[in-house]
Amino acid sequence: MEKIISIKGITKDYKMGKVIVPALRGIDLDIHKGDFVAITGPSGSGKSTLMHILGCLDSPTQGNYLLNNRNVSTRNKSKLAEIRNKQIGFVFQTFNLLPHLNMQKNVELPLMYSGFSPRKRAKLAKKVLSEVGLANRLKHKPSELSGGQRQRVAIARAIVNSPSIILADEPTGNLDTASGMDILSIFTELHKQGHTVIMVTHDPSVAKRANKIIKLVDGVIVNGDIN
Amino acid sequence: MAISIKENLIVGFSDFWSRKIRSIIVILGIILGTMSIIVVTSIINGINKTTMAWLMERGGLAKISIERNWDNDTTSGEREYFNLKEFEQISSLIPEAKYINPQMNRHLSFSYKQDTQYFSTFGVLADLTGIEEWDISKGRFINDFDIKQNNDVIVIGSYIKDTFFGNKNAIGEIITVHNRRMKIIGVMEHRFMKNNHPMQQNGLAYLNRRAFIPISTMINKGTGEDKIFRIDLKANDVESASALGAKLENIILNMRHGKPVFRIRSAKDEAQTMKKNSEIFQLVFTLISAISLFVGAIVISNIMLATIKERTREIGIRLAVGARRRDIFFQFLVQTILVAVIGGIFGIITGLSILNIVSKFLEMELFANTSTIVFALLSSAVVGLLAGVIPAIIASRLDPIRALRYQ
Repeated sequence: MEKIISIKGITKDYKMGKVIVPALRGIDLDIHKGDFVAITGPSGSGKSTLMHILGCLDSPTQGNYLLNNRNVSTRNKSKLAEIRNKQIGFVFQTFNLLPHLNMQKNVELPLMYSGFSPRKRAKLAKKVLSEVGLANRLKHKPSELSGGQRQRVAIARAIVNSPSIILADEPTGNLDTASGMDILSIFTELHKQGHTVIMVTHDPSVAKRANKIIKLVDGVIVNGDIN
Repeated sequence: MAISIKENLIVGFSDFWSRKIRSIIVILGIILGTMSIIVVTSIINGINKTTMAWLMERGGLAKISIERNWDNDTTSGEREYFNLKEFEQISSLIPEAKYINPQMNRHLSFSYKQDTQYFSTFGVLADLTGIEEWDISKGRFINDFDIKQNNDVIVIGSYIKDTFFGNKNAIGEIITVHNRRMKIIGVMEHRFMKNNHPMQQNGLAYLNRRAFIPISTMINKGTGEDKIFRIDLKANDVESASALGAKLENIILNMRHGKPVFRIRSAKDEAQTMKKNSEIFQLVFTLISAISLFVGAIVISNIMLATIKERTREIGIRLAVGARRRDIFFQFLVQTILVAVIGGIFGIITGLSILNIVSKFLEMELFANTSTIVFALLSSAVVGLLAGVIPAIIASRLDPIRALRYQ
C-alpha cells in the first residue's frame, strides 16, 4: 500500500510563559492509504497535538511531515488552509457544526472554500448526506437534530471534498453508547470503502475498531501494534 | 480557490438576517448620518433653488436696487429720498446701465362704474418692463412721450383688469384713479411663480395687483410728491453688475456727503452671498453628519469585535475546513460593509420620506439629487470599511486550534 503520511522526528514545544513545555518529543510514523488508525493515550500524552499537526492545523517545531509525498511542515498558513480543505476531513468530539446554517449548508462549507459552484455544492452535499442516512434532514438546523445525527452531518462534511485522510478527534466522546456504536460503524464502513481514517480516542474499546493502534505517552509513541 | 464577493455577500446577508435586532441597532448611527446628509443637502438645495428662482423672476442677476438703508442713523440730516432732479443726475452718471427706473408708489382708489377698490400704483419710466423682464399682454406700456406730456394713462395688472372688466376688453376704457380720469392703455402679463410647488400659493400674485402710470403724471398732477425712495436698474449683463454696483455706491455716498443713507442691493451679490452661506451651512451639517457616521463606525466596530469573540468557534470551524485568513478577513469586512450599506439604504429611505414631509410643510419642492444619494451611500460604505478593517484583521489572525477550543 502506498504511504499517505510519513512523519519523521517530529517535536512540538509549547511556551507557557517562560517555560517551554514539550508536547511531542520525536515522533516517527507511517500511515498507508486505506489504514484505520487509532491514536490513544492518557490525557496530556500529546495525542491532540499530534492530531493537530497531522491535520495541518499546526506546524511541528522540528521534523518533517510528508503528506502524499509532499513536505507540509514548511508550508505557509494559506497553503495549509488549502491542504486542510482538499486533503483532510475533520470530525470533532463536539461536532463543530455552524449553528445558524442548515445541514446541507454545513456540509457545503468545505466545497465553498474550494470554489465549487452552488449547484455542484448542493449536489455533492445531498449525495454525502444521503450516504450517512440523512437525506431527509437537509434543511434542518443542528439544534433540531440529535447528537448522533449531528455527528453524521459532521462526517458528511468531512468526506464531501474526497479528502486523503479523515481525522476524527474523540468522535464518540459526546454521544451515548448506541449513537457511539452507530458512528463507529460509519467509520468502519468508510474504512471498508477505502478511506484512510485516523481516530484519536482514549477509549480502548473504540480503539479496537482500528487496524492499527498507536499509543502515546508523554509525547512519544510507545507501541505501534497492528490489530 | 477564492471565495467570491457574491458568495461573501450571501454569507454576510444571512449573518445579518440571523441577527436582525442586533444588526438594526448597530446601524442606527449610520441611518441617522445618511438621513441627515440627504435631508440637509436637499433642503439647502431646495432653498437655494427657490431663492434663485425668485431672483430670476424679479429681474435676474443683473438687477441692482438703490434703497433706504434702514440701519442708518436717521438723525444725520441727510435726505432719505431722491428728487427727480437727483435721479436724472444719477442716471446721466451711469450711461452703461441698460435700464433705470425710479420707484414711487401710492395706494390709490380705483373706481369703475359703481365699483371702488384700492391698489398700489407706481409712477414709473418706460424702463420698468426691461428691469422686471415683465411684458405687456395687451395694449402698450407707458412710453417716453407719455412721460413728457404728463399723460393721464394707466397700465393695470391682470388682477385689476379681472376685477373691473372680467373677460371684457379693458384697453381704451376710462377708469377713475384718485379722482382723476385715466385711460387704460395696457394690461400687464399675468405673473406666477414658475416651477411652483403644486400646494404653494403663487408667490408673485401681489404683482398682478399693481398699476403703473407715468412718473411725471404722478408727481405733477397731485397724486404724488417728488420723493423717490428707491431706484431699480439693470446692468448690461451679469458680469458688469458688480462694477456698476460699486460705482453707484460711490455716487450715492457723494450725494449724501458720505452718509450711508442708501444701500445698494445687487441680485448677483445676493446670489453669491446665498451660495456662500449655504456652503457654510452645508459644511457645518456635513461635519455633524460625519460625526454621527463616525460614532456609527465606532459602534459597528465595537459590535463586530464582540461578534468575532462570540463567533470565535465558528471562525475555528471555517479555518479547519479550509478557509484561508483572507477568506475570514473578507467575510467580516464584507459583512461590516454590508451592514453599513444596509444602514445607508435605510437612512436614505428615511431621509427621502422626511424630505417628503418637510416639502409639504415648507410648501417647497425638495428633491434629493442622485449625487446626494450616491454620496450618502458611499459614505456608509466607507464607514463600513473603516469600522470593519480592524475586527476583520483580528478575526483573520485567530489561531485555528485555539479558536476551535473557544467556549
